[in-house]
Order: sequence, then structure tokens, then C-alpha cells
Amino acid sequence: MASRPSSPPEAMLPPRSEVGVIGWLHANLFSNWFNTVLTLVSGAVLVLCLWFGLKWIFLIADWTVIAELGGRFLLGRYNTEAACSGQNCFWRPQAALIMVSLLMGAAWGLQGNRVARTLAWLVAGVSAAFAFLPYNLETMGLDVRVLLLLNLPAVPLGWALARYTPLGTGTRITMLGVAIFFLTLMLMRGLPGIAFLQPVSVVYWGGLALNLILAVGGITLSLPIGVSLALGRRSNLPVVKVLCVFFIEVFRGVPLIALLFMSQTLVPLAFPEDMPQNSLFRAGVVITLFSSAYMAENIRGGLQALHPGQAEAARALGLPGWQTTMLISLPQAIRNVIPAIVGQFIGLFKDTSLVYIIGMLDVVAIGRSFIQSNPEYLANARELFVFLALVFWVFTYGMSYVSGKVEEHLGVGRR
Amino acid sequence: MVSAARILTYQGIPVWRHVQVIQWAAQIISSIVVVALVVWFFTNISGAIQEREIPYGFSFLSREYQTPIGEHFLPYESSDTFLYALFVGITNTAIVAVAGVFLATALGIFIGVSRLSTNWIVAKLAMVYIEFFRNVPLLVQLFFWFYIVLELPGVRESIVIADVLYLSNRGFSMPWPKATDYPVALIWLGLAVVAIVAGALVYRWRDRMEERTGQSSYPLIYGLLVAVVIGAAAWLVLSFASGASPFYVSVPEPQGRFGNIVGGFTARAGLLVLLIGLVMYTASFIAEIVRAGIQSVGRGQTEAARALGLSPMNTLRNVTFPQALRVIIPPLISQFLNLTKNSSLGGAVAYSDLFNIAITMTQTAPSVSIFMLIMASYLAMSLTWSLIGNLYNRQIRFVGG
Repeated sequence: MASRPSSPPEAMLPPRSEVGVIGWLHANLFSNWFNTVLTLVSGAVLVLCLWFGLKWIFLIADWTVIAELGGRFLLGRYNTEAACSGQNCFWRPQAALIMVSLLMGAAWGLQGNRVARTLAWLVAGVSAAFAFLPYNLETMGLDVRVLLLLNLPAVPLGWALARYTPLGTGTRITMLGVAIFFLTLMLMRGLPGIAFLQPVSVVYWGGLALNLILAVGGITLSLPIGVSLALGRRSNLPVVKVLCVFFIEVFRGVPLIALLFMSQTLVPLAFPEDMPQNSLFRAGVVITLFSSAYMAENIRGGLQALHPGQAEAARALGLPGWQTTMLISLPQAIRNVIPAIVGQFIGLFKDTSLVYIIGMLDVVAIGRSFIQSNPEYLANARELFVFLALVFWVFTYGMSYVSGKVEEHLGVGRR
Repeated sequence: MVSAARILTYQGIPVWRHVQVIQWAAQIISSIVVVALVVWFFTNISGAIQEREIPYGFSFLSREYQTPIGEHFLPYESSDTFLYALFVGITNTAIVAVAGVFLATALGIFIGVSRLSTNWIVAKLAMVYIEFFRNVPLLVQLFFWFYIVLELPGVRESIVIADVLYLSNRGFSMPWPKATDYPVALIWLGLAVVAIVAGALVYRWRDRMEERTGQSSYPLIYGLLVAVVIGAAAWLVLSFASGASPFYVSVPEPQGRFGNIVGGFTARAGLLVLLIGLVMYTASFIAEIVRAGIQSVGRGQTEAARALGLSPMNTLRNVTFPQALRVIIPPLISQFLNLTKNSSLGGAVAYSDLFNIAITMTQTAPSVSIFMLIMASYLAMSLTWSLIGNLYNRQIRFVGG
């Protein structure tokens, strides 16, 4: 009779094919014959894409078209003689940029986390890097380059403001942000009667700055408007409900470019002739309202998905209806639909490129008109639009990255 | 009954804090504000129309349009009326919308399923596709494809694939079925509808039988068989009776000195660019919807189905997919609607869609009326999509509970 081993056998190691690099390859690429075929086919696709893509980027593509476009890509016709006769207006957007860097620094000081810090330094760093661009020497003088470099000290200044002054509360920094937005608009637009702030008509605003101004204004306003519309649509007051449903469905049913076009031809007729008219303002309002209609539906989805027990418990605890909505239902509903809300923000930012239809030269329209007026670059249009796609992608991907971080911070899906 | 005495001796909550009073006041005030705004806008508009002598009204619809339309699928001449030209625009938009919806759904499902693949390379490739195409404005993508197609060789040096597909900067040509004789073709199409209805009825009958008896009754095979047999029989009978088959496949071919492509179906450059752009863009959104839908079905569902002895294929077809569909359909319909609305960017790439034709019309017709027609047309299209979505939703909603 064989004697039993006195101690249990040593735990057996997993087979070599299931751990480490080989295990990973086996599990993810070669687990069965079908998977192996898939790996070979998609690997071939990947290699071909990389081969032709890299060859095009480094050998075939001629990127001089972007250098040729230069500063117009950022500011459109803002710094031309027609926009700003006899003056150099270039410093005004630069000053606005420094304020943005300051705000980013303040946000970092307030939040104190890595994402905010990276974002602040990224904005300031990219802005400062423009100071070292070799070309455009005649339009970009030493003063502009110094202003661009000032973005770097603006970040720690904002950080210190948020940390060591009474400004450092969430509400005050938000108010500072709103103030900076209006200051930016004022700087760009100019003030009549002040010699160094000569007015610049909005028709000369353009480039990426135009997209960003429209997007920032629209994103800030579309969320509260969307929330009101969503609450109105769920309200038990028939008149309010019908009005909200009508508004949402009309704005969601018509293409944005049709609305934009109407905002320039039909809307001016609906106001008295002597009222001041501003095409940029009208475009911004239309983009914001269009986005709010979508936002309202996203938030309504979040409210519908909320368990009714939450509101019932709040009412049972004696909270009045208004506080139940503002303190219990809405915060949870918004937290649950953050991806949809950020998706709508991204959609709004992408939609700012549609202002081409009303003759505004945003960054895409500038590129297109450059190609049309310089036929020698016709063959390089691809390079230009790949570049524009990357510019948009950096912003939109950044937005979804930050939203992921916010979700993590709020603990979505964990509680 | 509320008597005067009760009102006079009312001692409840103060009137200004009474919920019902506040609600009624809010409703009355908001309706007054809205009505006042609308009236104010209309007075201003009608004042401006009279003062500046802006034309208005809809009498222009029966006038001749007198402007060429770049691309049209219905026969169109400059002497046709505004109304007919608008209708041509609506069909142009509808064709892009329907073709785009089919292609985008196919591509989107493919990429969405690839995104969930256990194969690492496939999943990552799908992710890169989604993250790139979803995050770049459609307009930039359209311009990119526009200049790509513009740089293709001319029609005489077309890229020829397998002798039947021609690709040049004029567009893309492919073989397409064409009617030999219109009455015969129409009769066959009618019979084909009959065949499909008969197939559907047979499918339903076998399906019920399967449900009742629990025996495999092969509803899909029976249904398809009936439909194909009736269709083929009609085809044969009609071919013998009229001496030629109702449809033939027309193959594109270059002809003449300039190598113009004749025959088949040619998607001209504008349509081609718009379709590629819309499909690639919308597919990235559909892929995310499909992924979320499949992931929303609990793992327990699949495990339970497998434990009950269903094959993997049956599990997918009868358990996972029907439940995923319930999550997928509503956002999918709204993507279809977005695609339809986004087709209004056709003007940017030289395609004559409804919006492009309509804003060209504002140069010779009253713009106020044109805008009403644009809004009405797009609202009608979006209502059509919501109607289809709602009908389908009713079909697949939870039964019982």
C-alpha cells in the first residue's frame, strides 16, 4: 500500500501557455482557428494602413500649405488692414489668451488635481510655443511674441490667486470665468471712443478663435437651458409642457444649417429695424438653442431612468417639490448622463464649423477659402483637411477624456 | 360648491403660497408672454414685408423655376415649376438618406461587433475608427473626401475594377438592374410583393406551429422557399409571355471619344462624396450604440440560455439580440434622423439636396415662404423616422411583465 504524502503537493504552476506574454498572445490573438485567421487578416490591414499612412505623412504629403495659412488659421481676418485700419489689433486676442491661461491656473489651484494641472500647462505651453514659430516675422512682431510668452507666468499666478486669496472658492472662480469670457468678447470687439480699442466688426472674426468663442458660450448656456426644458417637458402644467415639447421637437427636427441661415435672413425681420443687430450673436443664440433641445432630451432620459423611490423618499422627509428636484433628482440624473451631455458638448463644438453657411470664416471655412483662392495648393487640400481634422480631434478627445475623469471623480457606476 | 360665504371666510394657506394658485398663475403668465412674443414677431415681420416690399405668398410655386439642378434622379428640365423642383430636391435628399441609412447601419454593426471582439487587434482597430470619425466634424470629413475624389483620374483614365466598376473624378459606376419593358417589369414587381407577403404569412404560420407544438418547424426556410418559388415562377411565366425577362443587368461601359460611361448606375461625384462622408461618420455613432446595446444584456441571460441547452447561435438569435435590440432601436432611429438632417450639407460638396435647391430658390422666390417649406419638409421627414421607430418599438416592447 502506497503511503500517503505527508504534506499536500506544491501548488502546480499554470502552464506556460496561459501566463506572461505567451499567455496574453494566446488569449487575445490565437485562442482558436477563427481568432487566428482574424488576427492575420486584421494584422495585415494594420500593417498596410501604417505603411501607406506613414509613407504619406513623411514622404508624399507636402505640409507647407499649413505654414502658408499661418496665423489666419487661428484668427481669420482679424489682424488685417480692413478689420483694424491703422492699428495693430493683434495684441487683443493675445491678452485674452493670457486671461484664459490665468483662469486655467486658477482652476488648477482650486481643484489641485493632476488633470487640471496638465490642462493648464498644456494651454499655456502651446500658446507660448507659438512665440518661437520662425515664420510670419512681419506680422508677428516682438511685442506679440512677448505677450505669448506671458502665458507661462499666468498659470502660477492664477494658481496662487486660487490658493492664497479670498478668490479661491468655486463660485468666485466661476464668476471670474464668466467675467473673462465677456472681457474677451469686449477686447475682441473693441469699444468706440477708446483710442487703443478701436471697434472690429464681427464679420472679421474668424479662425479657431471663432469656433472656440461660439463653443464656450454655447456649452455654458445650453446646459441650464436644456435642464429647464427637460423639467418643463416633465412638468404637470399642460401649457408649459406643450410649449417645451413644441420647442424641443421643432429645433430637433430641422438641420442646424437651415436654422443658421434663417437666423441671418428671417430673424432680423422679426425685430424692429432700429435695434442693434449682430450676426455673430444671432448665430451663437441659434447654436445654443439647437444644442439645448438635444440636451433637454438627454437630461429627460436621465430623469426617467431615476428610481421614483428617490423623489418619494425626499418628499417623505418633508422636502418641498422644488428642493426635491434641485437637490435629489437633478444631481443624480445629470451624473448618470454625463457621457451623453459631454457628447452633446462635443457635437456643439463640431457644429460651430457650420457657420460657413452664413459667410463666417471659421477655421474650416478659412482653410476652404484658402484652397479656392490659391489653386496652386489644390493638390494639398488633403494635407490641410487632415490637419484640421487633427485640430478638432485634439479638442474633442480632450473633452471626452476630461469627462471620463469627472465621472471617475463622481464615482459613477461605483455607488 | 364654492359659495360666497366660503370665499369670504377662507382661512387656509395664503393665496400667494397656494400651490394650485401658483401653478395656474405660472401657466397663464407663460402663455401671455409667449403669445405676446409671437404677436410682436409677426407684426414686425409683416411690417417689414410691407415697408420693404419683400415678396411673400406661395403663388411662386406654379411658376417656372428656370434654373438647372446639378443632379436629379427624377426627370427635370428648367421649364418645370418651383413645386416640382422642390419635389426633385426632396427625392434627392430621400435617396441619400435611405442609401446612407442602409450602408451606415451595415458598417456600424460590423464595427460595433468588432469593437467587442475578443481579438485584441480587431477590437483596437474598431476603437481607433470610432474615436477618430466620431470626433471630427462632418464638414471637415466631407471636404477631405471631396478633394480626394477631385484628385482621382479623369473619366478617360478611370480606375476599372473587375471590368464592371469604374471610378473617376466624375463618380462611381456599377452594374444595375434595368427594366426591359416597363409594364412587364411593373407586373413582376407587383407579383414580387405578393410573393413576399405569401412568404411572410407562411413564416408566421410555421412560427405559430413551432410555438404551439415545440417541434422545430423551420419557419424561415419555409417562408423564404415560398417567396422565392412564387417570384421565380412569375419571372419565368412573364419571360415566356413577353419574350424577354422583366429586368436585365445593365453594365457600365466607356463609350465614344471622351470615354463617357454609359449604362449601369453612376453615383456622380457629389452623391459619392456625400454618401461616403455620411456613412463613415454615422457608422461610428451606430457602432457605439450597437456596442452599448450588446453590453446591456446581462451575462446571466446568455449563461441561462446556454444552461438550458441552446446553441451559441440560437442564444445570440433568440436571447441576446432581441434584448439588445430593445436598447439599440431608439438611439439608432435618432441617428437615422441625424443622417437625414446632415445630408443638408450636400451643398458644400456640390450635391443638390433639398436644402441646397431651396436656398438657391431664395434668389428668385420669396425667402419667407421658402423657409416655411424647408422647415415643413424636414419636420415631415423627422416625423416619418419617429413614426417608423415608434411602430417598431411597439412591436418589440415588453409583453406582460
